[in-house]
Amino acid sequence: MTQTLLSIRNIKKHFGAVQAIAGIDLDIRENEFFALLGASGSGKTTLLRMLAGFEMPTAGSVMLDGQDISHVLPNHRPVNLMFQSYALFPHMTAAQNIAYGLEMDKLPRPEIKARVAEILDVIQLSPLANRKPDQLSGGQRQRVALARALVKRPRLLLLDEPLGALDKKLRGEMQLELKRIQHEFGITFIVVTHDQEEALVMADRIAILHEGNLLQCGSPHEIYEHPQSRFAAGFIGVMNFLPVRRSGNELIAKDGSKITADLGDDLANESDAVAAVRPERLSLDVQDDDNRLTGRVSALAYHGLDLQVHLDTPLSSEPIMIRLTADAAEGRRLSIGENVTVGWPAKDTRVFSA
Amino acid sequence: MTDRKSFYLMTPALAWLTGLMVIPCLLILALAFFRRGTYGGIEYTFTLENIGLVFDPLYASIFLKSASIAGLSALIAVIVGYAAAYAIAAAPAKRQPILLFFAVLPFWSNYLVRTYAWIVLLNREGLIASIVHSLGYEGELPRMLYTESAVVIGLVYNYLPFVILACYAPLSRLNPEIAEASRDLGGSGWTTFRRVTLPMTAPGIATGFVFVFVLSIGNFVTPALLGGGQFQMIGNLVYAQFLTANDWPFGAALSMFLIAIMMGLLTLQTFATERASGARQEDT
Ligand SMILES: Nc1ncnc2c1ncn2[C@@H]1O[C@H](COP(=O)(O)OP(=O)(O)OP(=O)(O)O)[C@@H](O)[C@H]1O
Ligand SMILES: [Mg+2]
Repeated sequence: MTQTLLSIRNIKKHFGAVQAIAGIDLDIRENEFFALLGASGSGKTTLLRMLAGFEMPTAGSVMLDGQDISHVLPNHRPVNLMFQSYALFPHMTAAQNIAYGLEMDKLPRPEIKARVAEILDVIQLSPLANRKPDQLSGGQRQRVALARALVKRPRLLLLDEPLGALDKKLRGEMQLELKRIQHEFGITFIVVTHDQEEALVMADRIAILHEGNLLQCGSPHEIYEHPQSRFAAGFIGVMNFLPVRRSGNELIAKDGSKITADLGDDLANESDAVAAVRPERLSLDVQDDDNRLTGRVSALAYHGLDLQVHLDTPLSSEPIMIRLTADAAEGRRLSIGENVTVGWPAKDTRVFSA
Repeated sequence: MTDRKSFYLMTPALAWLTGLMVIPCLLILALAFFRRGTYGGIEYTFTLENIGLVFDPLYASIFLKSASIAGLSALIAVIVGYAAAYAIAAAPAKRQPILLFFAVLPFWSNYLVRTYAWIVLLNREGLIASIVHSLGYEGELPRMLYTESAVVIGLVYNYLPFVILACYAPLSRLNPEIAEASRDLGGSGWTTFRRVTLPMTAPGIATGFVFVFVLSIGNFVTPALLGGGQFQMIGNLVYAQFLTANDWPFGAALSMFLIAIMMGLLTLQTFATERASGARQEDT
């Protein structure tokens, strides 16, 4: 689990004047489920295409198993890519699509047949093996595309928004399915997504891309609980941001109230900063918390599992979001216009320079 | 669109075709079943003689000759045209319209002028000959004008733009990621072309081939001008029956067979395209 499979060293990609990838270092471990997360246009596809061999890096190198593969042609890389558009061969059946890569490896016929049958079984499409792509549903096509890339048992499988075209429920099922398949085949996965929830659910580690730069890389827990930048904090999940000023060992909010946090040394005294806290860390009417603020309920949104409360406060122009579990919401009926006090412990405050 | 609406929209075109094309054609074709008058003209007594005459070895061989020339022209045009269309579709998107414009440019000049231009080129004292001689070649050049090759060259040249357009359409619609998927799965450039690009664009090739074949087999201008009086193609034969031999019934019989061949091919091609159309419904 700790062996490094892929090393990306200071890789850059320019398209004319456009800098799609601005210099990235990344190590991917053997058998890892790695997620690349970023907004549209952040360079996710470009990075994957460089790993697959369809774009030559402007600078930098890609090492697979210790060998520099930066200039190896796509058909000679032990890497397979599942395209954002699936790119199935429309004139071939599902089974022929899947067999194609094995035929390229010049495997004996009986072995090809056996392996295609096996993987069709894994993706539960055996009955539809002889359908052409245009006779399959979006979800079925997506599974064929996955099987086609997977059946070659590459060292590294790249998946570009593999679940992008699916509805929410099917997405949830397929996320677990992908994890199961990855575990079963023991192949390293790099999955591109712009759905942060999906990345949190599926990945062993997540890298956040922003305008061609790598912002942060770490486990879902690290990324969610300890974002290293204001952008990362806002990109993953919901975050309340409060404009503050550092004064000695304290943070002073806009209305003069104090906010406590574990402050490091990297924030200079008397400088502007942003304090951040997750909605689920806030609790109602707690007396002994380190931080406390009072506000007026401006909106309530019921989500079944939880209740989201918007609070207007003098600390910020944006409403503060609170997420109450169904239980907590049952015990304390809230109504719009009501004044409530919420609190949270100092260890849950994150601080970023403004 | 509902069937009814599309029917209404097609009515003017259908009426035009029926009134001015189908009916006159049928009238002419009907002549095939009548006797030729002694001094030209038509004698309205039923006969199958004209139809039988088409199978006379003399005329059947002209049919075969025409088919082989048309087939050869179509084959060459498809190879050259597909390559050109492939190159255009691979060019930067901004340059493609200009390249296409140049490819179809010959269409904007008169057919006769274009064909006469080939006479100037292929002549014994023509441009090609004088260039070769000016390069120091002293010997006798093989005859170029008034040969079968000249006819094939003329036909290929004239119908090449059709093929380029017919092949460019499916090539330009290809999702480049499909070819990349083939490379990704281990296919070489050539394998990718043979197993993915070519089958997916086959309908365009079929359309181009049938177009050139159908237009060539009935052509009479190019064989007359570039083939000289040396040989006849079926188009020349029909032309002669109507305009010089004054044997309209036999001319009609020949035309009937020509039309039958064309219709057969076009029907085949339509079916083939329809069957393959799944290949082009690649979306998102
Ligand atoms: N072939 C190209 N030529 C020029 N610019 C390109 C090319 N490919 C990508 N870009 C640019 O590079 C940047 C990154 O694009 P990329 O496709 O990698 O984004 P992405 O993260 O995959 O986005 P999405 O989530 O929308 O798929 C964008 O600004 C894009 O416009
Ligand atoms: Mg993308």
